[in-house]
Amino acid sequence: MAEALSKPEPLRGVQLEALVVMKIIKHCSQAFPTTATGFIVGMDNKGILEATNAFPYPAVDVPSADGHHDSNSGTNFAAAAPRAKANVAYQNEMIRNLREVSIDANNVGWYTSANMGSFINLNLIENQYFFQKDLNERTIALVHDVSRSSQGSLSLRAFRLSPHFMTAYKENKFNTETLQKSGLRYQDILVELPLQIHNSHILTSFLHQLPVKPASSTIPLPISLADIEARINPNSSTANIGSSLYPNFDSLDLSIDPFLEKTCDLLLDSIESHHTELNNYQYYQRQLAREQNKITAWQTKRKAENATRQLAKQPLLPEDEWQRMFKLPTEPSRLDVMLNSRQIEQYARQIDGFTAGISGKMFAVKNNLLPGDSLD
Amino acid sequence: MTDTGSFLHLARPLGPSAPGVQPFTAPLKVIIQPQAIFSILDHSLRRQPDQERVIGTLLGTRSEDGSEVEVRNSFAVGHTETQDQVEVDMEYQKSMLNLQLKANPREILIGWYATSAELNTFSALIQNFYGGQGDGTWPHPAVHLTISTEAGKEVEARTYISAPVGVTAERAADSAAFIPVPCEIRYGEAEKSGLEVISSAKDREDRSTGLPTDIESLEHAIEEVLGMLERVSKYVEAVIDEETPPNTALGQFLLNALALAPKVNAEDIERDFNNHIQDVLVVSYLANSIRTQIDLSNRLATAALTLGSSGEGIEQTNGTKEGTGRSGGGQRGGRGGRNNREQEPREP
Repeated sequence: MAEALSKPEPLRGVQLEALVVMKIIKHCSQAFPTTATGFIVGMDNKGILEATNAFPYPAVDVPSADGHHDSNSGTNFAAAAPRAKANVAYQNEMIRNLREVSIDANNVGWYTSANMGSFINLNLIENQYFFQKDLNERTIALVHDVSRSSQGSLSLRAFRLSPHFMTAYKENKFNTETLQKSGLRYQDILVELPLQIHNSHILTSFLHQLPVKPASSTIPLPISLADIEARINPNSSTANIGSSLYPNFDSLDLSIDPFLEKTCDLLLDSIESHHTELNNYQYYQRQLAREQNKITAWQTKRKAENATRQLAKQPLLPEDEWQRMFKLPTEPSRLDVMLNSRQIEQYARQIDGFTAGISGKMFAVKNNLLPGDSLD
Repeated sequence: MTDTGSFLHLARPLGPSAPGVQPFTAPLKVIIQPQAIFSILDHSLRRQPDQERVIGTLLGTRSEDGSEVEVRNSFAVGHTETQDQVEVDMEYQKSMLNLQLKANPREILIGWYATSAELNTFSALIQNFYGGQGDGTWPHPAVHLTISTEAGKEVEARTYISAPVGVTAERAADSAAFIPVPCEIRYGEAEKSGLEVISSAKDREDRSTGLPTDIESLEHAIEEVLGMLERVSKYVEAVIDEETPPNTALGQFLLNALALAPKVNAEDIERDFNNHIQDVLVVSYLANSIRTQIDLSNRLATAALTLGSSGEGIEQTNGTKEGTGRSGGGQRGGRGGRNNREQEPREP
């Protein structure tokens, strides 16, 4: 972040038009639970990235009947879409078309959907690296969490790769030594940008017409219960826009367990993979130690041989032949561990934030049900 | 802002049709999703200063019996209009339609929109193009949506389908009788949270807002509920004071709502509450300690080399590394067990 600040016009924040928000929500929730990705256009206005329009990448037809494996590959395909070659043509054509109807045609980033905060993976990194490196340095990755948004408040976050990480990823060296030298920590991989949502004047005036104002100041009194029901809920199938949009009463919902259970599961999975990575690392270290022991043994042997040769006045054998004879195992990349750690941190913070809200709600409910105890 | 009053469905007269295909005459209802409207409003802002209105294509789905049309998406199409002629960029419309359908294979062409409430001869021409055979929506009628975007007036949405008029084929090609059909703006569950944030900015001067945190939205919701309770109790007081005429239906409704409050045993609540809050707190505590552990593990993995010179450094890292690995593994198992125990009572 410090490096970004030293640039002439660092990105300070992201401003999304309401249209972009709606398009992303629509695309992501339609594709749920598979990952959905798309492209964002807009412009860079003095350090504030203004996203004014978005379009999805072409969908891939995934045969849903073919079981789990195929749907997984479909997800992978969609997740890799932003950097897929086939989509570049699509993207260029779309941008050209958008320019024709005077929509901003600059690339400002891409978006992806996520499920319960599990979005920090290699796909995100590779896509964002591709965008920041090849297309335009000033691009963002927007992450829309579908399942968290359905629980009340909208979850939409903007990320960039830190310049620090960009250089490290370019060299693709993530072994212990380089990490020690660069001091790159897993917290430094992604930089989150503050996000704002912006409405146009005409949209504001449109929103002010919702909900519809009653035609006259006096509403005729209802004649029966059924009448009230009908007026409250004219369409039981889907929510009607006539009802109030803000605030959203979904945030008063008290269901705790599904969310905590799901996040705990995900957290445990992450720890599991962290453990696997550690095991891999240990395996590497044992290999390394074994090889090193062999080398030392060989060296002592060679030295002893040379000593006897010296006594016998024979020419000495070279002592650095071991470099050709033994091959040290390569160190596994620490990138996976770092991403996984970042993901675990993300889950932990998510749980933290959730429990903060839920314990407040629970105390409120308890005191409401037991009014006598409230003063204890 | 939309027409929600009563509508008279007239079976529209039909023009000459190809044999074998029966054009569609049943009543029609149009549902518009907010994001299509947002996109149209955005387009209306981006028109050239001399343009009266802009037009574009509507995409969406049609129910199986064809009686309900849902407008889900829209895109702008360039066109120029002068006193006596109109030009629509057909090539553009075609290529854009193809691109859109690639990304949303489930959506189909529904019709078109214009950003002025006026219907004129050109509207009829364009309508006949969209409703025509071949590239159009034939045999289903094309839907025409007008959104008035005149400054200072209300944004108003109206939907029409059309019927051909005129005695000769040439006459019929550039005229149409527009028949209004009912329309409604609806949003889905997924869009609710997004619309909430968007509409929370409507009363602000700068027309922009940050994303609310969970606690903030909770606060707003509670404040709103308190306000509503106050309004209801004011009404009830007014009825008791005989200032407002009483109403049996409302009284019954309020009574029903009050009856929803559960009758609970104080001890049960106390016990359940304690169990649950303990679960929540334990999970929160564990999540935080996991975070610390991970941080520690990462630091240990990279920090050890500073202790020694580079030659022995590797050996030293190995030692530390293995240590952390083992301890991490041991604790991880324990943690998992505890978590599972926590969840068990809640699962049945």
